[in-house]
Formats: sequence, structure tokens, C-alpha cells
Amino acid sequence: MVTKTEETELNRLEIQVDNGGGGAWEYLCLVRKLKVRRSDKVLKHGLSILNDPKKRSNLGPEEWTLYEQVAVAAMDCQCLDVAKDCIKVLQKRFPESKRVGRLEGMLLESKGSWAEAEKAYSSLLEENPFDQVVLKRRVAMAKAQGNMSGAIEWLNKYLETFMADHDAWRELAEIYVSLQMYKQAAYCYEELILSQPTLPLYHLAYAEVLYTLGGLENLQTAKKYYASTIDLTGGKNTRALFGICLCTSAIGQLTKGRNKEEKESPELHSLAATALEKIYKQRAPTKLPLLNSALKGLKI
Amino acid sequence: MGGELKYEIAQNAYIKLVLHALKHKTAAVNAVLLGRLVTSTDGSHTLQISDAVPLFHSQITLLPPLEIALIQIEEYYGAQDMGIVGYFHANERFDDAELSSVAKNIGDHIYRYFPQAAVILLDNKKLESLPKGKDRSPVMQLYTKDASKNWRHAGSDGSSQLTIKEPSANVVLLDYIASEKWQDIIDFDDHLDDISKDWLNPELFK
Repeated sequence: MVTKTEETELNRLEIQVDNGGGGAWEYLCLVRKLKVRRSDKVLKHGLSILNDPKKRSNLGPEEWTLYEQVAVAAMDCQCLDVAKDCIKVLQKRFPESKRVGRLEGMLLESKGSWAEAEKAYSSLLEENPFDQVVLKRRVAMAKAQGNMSGAIEWLNKYLETFMADHDAWRELAEIYVSLQMYKQAAYCYEELILSQPTLPLYHLAYAEVLYTLGGLENLQTAKKYYASTIDLTGGKNTRALFGICLCTSAIGQLTKGRNKEEKESPELHSLAATALEKIYKQRAPTKLPLLNSALKGLKI
Repeated sequence: MGGELKYEIAQNAYIKLVLHALKHKTAAVNAVLLGRLVTSTDGSHTLQISDAVPLFHSQITLLPPLEIALIQIEEYYGAQDMGIVGYFHANERFDDAELSSVAKNIGDHIYRYFPQAAVILLDNKKLESLPKGKDRSPVMQLYTKDASKNWRHAGSDGSSQLTIKEPSANVVLLDYIASEKWQDIIDFDDHLDDISKDWLNPELFK
């Protein structure tokens, strides 16, 4: 996950490098650190360093890290020859290396040789059954072949051992959401909120899943988590503000004709609506009339 | 209604859809199709898809953002005498050519208000081979509701295929792809993350 400041810095560097202003190595290190997927840029700029003997020797021991990074990027862009060359260099320098073994497995994956890749990974796991990267490759392979139930099974097994891996929980949640298995997705987000309660992203995702599940109780809980998202983001999260309005409207529909005590107080809704109007007036004034009629439709 | 219903998509809508999918190559994306049903002097009917609004590229099955998007889109296009006439979907994986249940669900929802609704699925293999040939047909597969209320692949039994209004649309598309125009396209997800980004993409084709 990347913060807005980190993303802005990354984009700034990317534009700089793209336009020949230098800083390629800085950019590649930042991509590695933030774990973002910008494979076409990594491939382009990584190769420009690797193909220049002077630049390459300037890297010192980091040269091998770059070969690895470029190999993975090349596989992502289906430039398998480039990937193979990078891996060959690494094989020569680090014979018998498990880390290079993983790259060989990934190369088999990118060729679509699933059975061979599975064999490669199995043998790596025999030596180290707790190799997180290889275990996750298994999940990725299942997903790549469209075997979603397999991916879910492997990922759940992985999380039994590595239950603190937040990225894995997020991946599982997103797989569940894509399959419309919202209850299971909600469980994943609950785990994430428990372990990192101050990250608004999880509160927001949880609220959206609960709203999608529907039903009065889920809507009421969703509203609470939209509210906590607003709290944690200083009222700046547009999705959460809209969420409050949607929840209030949906709850209102479900509780029509019930006792007055059970009805929700409209304060949160009007606060959210006012906040939305303010934000739109400031930053998207052409959309303000659309916003206003949308909010009118959501009034209880 | 007499005769087979024809399905026609305008170049701008077509290009927007493909560029959106290309911007987010590693995700499933979707869009709504706007337009109207038109009857010509010879009595034939055409579903004209004149515009498209790219919707999401992450967690596309969640309801809240979809509901917000549809409310605003309907409002805007309603004032121009256009309605939501269909749904576009592009699968996450390259070799997945199936219409997912998500796409069918959203299609069903649109069908409830517009019985001639079209569901369009991006054809990844056709898109990949586009630069190699001179094909003028869209890189998409059309699905419509058949008599038993299932989403049926059009063209498999001689029924109407999707056509592009402007015959040179694929040439223009290839041009945009070469210039990486997809970087400029804004979807509703982008708008919700930063509302100063306009999901109408008014400057895209200027």
C-alpha cells in the first residue's frame, strides 16, 4: 500500500526519468521499496542501466538486485528472452541459489508451463517448506489458470501459518469480492481491522462489503465503519461520505413504518451531505448540480 | 417490434472502453453504455450506443460506488435524452473469455429498466491481433437476453453482431494505442479518489 505522498514522489521521479532527466536508479529503488507494479517502466529504465557497462559497474553489488528486478518486470511484460538472459547472468553468479531457483520457477510460469513450474516450486519447498515467496507463487499460479477455488485454498493454508501477512489477507479479501463471496471477504477485513485498527482503508473496504451484503444489521454496521473512516481521514474521504448517505437512505427504506425510536437520526447524513457539497464546490464545481440531485434522491 | 434489432456503437464510446481496459491491464474493468433505441424510416430498430462512462478497475463488484455512479450518470445523460442501455466488462485474465456472473448480474439490473440492454465483453485475443490485420469489426463480444432470459452470445446463431458506426474506428484506436492515450482516460474510481478528475472525459478526444 502506498501513501499519496509516496505516490506523488514516485510519479515525479518517473516523469523525470522518462524525459531524460536522470534518476533511473533512484526510481528503480523506490519502485522496489514501495512494491508497486510498474513493469514496463522498470524494464525500460532497468535495461538502459544494465546494457551500459559503465553504469552497471557503478552499481557494485546492487547489480544483481537490478538483474532480479528487471527479470521479474520482463516476465510481467512477456519479454521472456530478456528475462531468460537476466536469469542466466544470475545463475552464473549464484549457482545453486534458491533465490534464482524461484526466478526459474517464475519463468516457467510466464511461459505457461504450469506443471513444470509446480515441480520446480515443490522441490524448492521440500528444502524450505516455509518459503513465503514460493508459497505465494502457488497461489498466483492457481489464480492465473482461473482456478479460483484452488487459489483460495492455498491462500487460506498460507494464512494459517503466516497470519500476520496483511497483503495476503487483502489479496484473499479481493479474491472473495471478485467472486461475490462477501461474507468471507468481510471476515478478512475484520482480521485486518483487528491487526491494524488505525488504517482507514480497511474500515472503508469493510463498510463497502457490508453494504453490498445488505440487510438492516449490516447496513447499520457499515454506517459505523464509514463514520470511522471519516474520523480517521479527517473527513476527506469522498467514498465514506457518500457511503453515509447511501446507508442512511437504505436504512430509511428498510425501517419505513417502524417506530420512531428505531429510526436513525439524520444528523450524520446531513453532515456528510454538507461536507460533500463543500468538497465538490471547491474541486469539481461542474459536477455540483449532479451531486445535489443525487443527494436529493438519497434524502430520507 | 419488426425485424432483428441491430446494435451499433459510436467510435468515441468504443475507443473509451478499450483505452480504459488497456490502462488497467492487470485488473477487471467495467463501464456503462449510454444511448438510445432508434427506429429508422424502413422500420428497422437500432440500439445506438453513443457514449460510455468507464466505471471501476478495483473491487468492481461492490455496490456503493456502483450506485453512486449510476445515479449521477443517469442524471447527466437523462438531460440529453440518453439512457443506460448496456454494460461493458473486461476480464482480469487474458484467456478468460467467459461472461462472469458479475457482468450478468449488472446486466440483469440494467435489463429490468431497459429490455433491449446489451452486455459487451472485451475480446482479449481479438484486441491482441488487432495491429496485425485490417479487421473493422469491434474487438468485443456482444451478449443479449434471449427468450429464456439468458445472456446469449450474439452472432452464434446468425443474430445481430455489434458494429461500429465509423468504419475506420480500429485505425484510430491503433493510433491512440501507439501514443499510449490510455494514460489520459478517467474512470469513476479515479473520480472518487480525486473528484477533480472528470469521469466524462471531456478533453480526451480534443
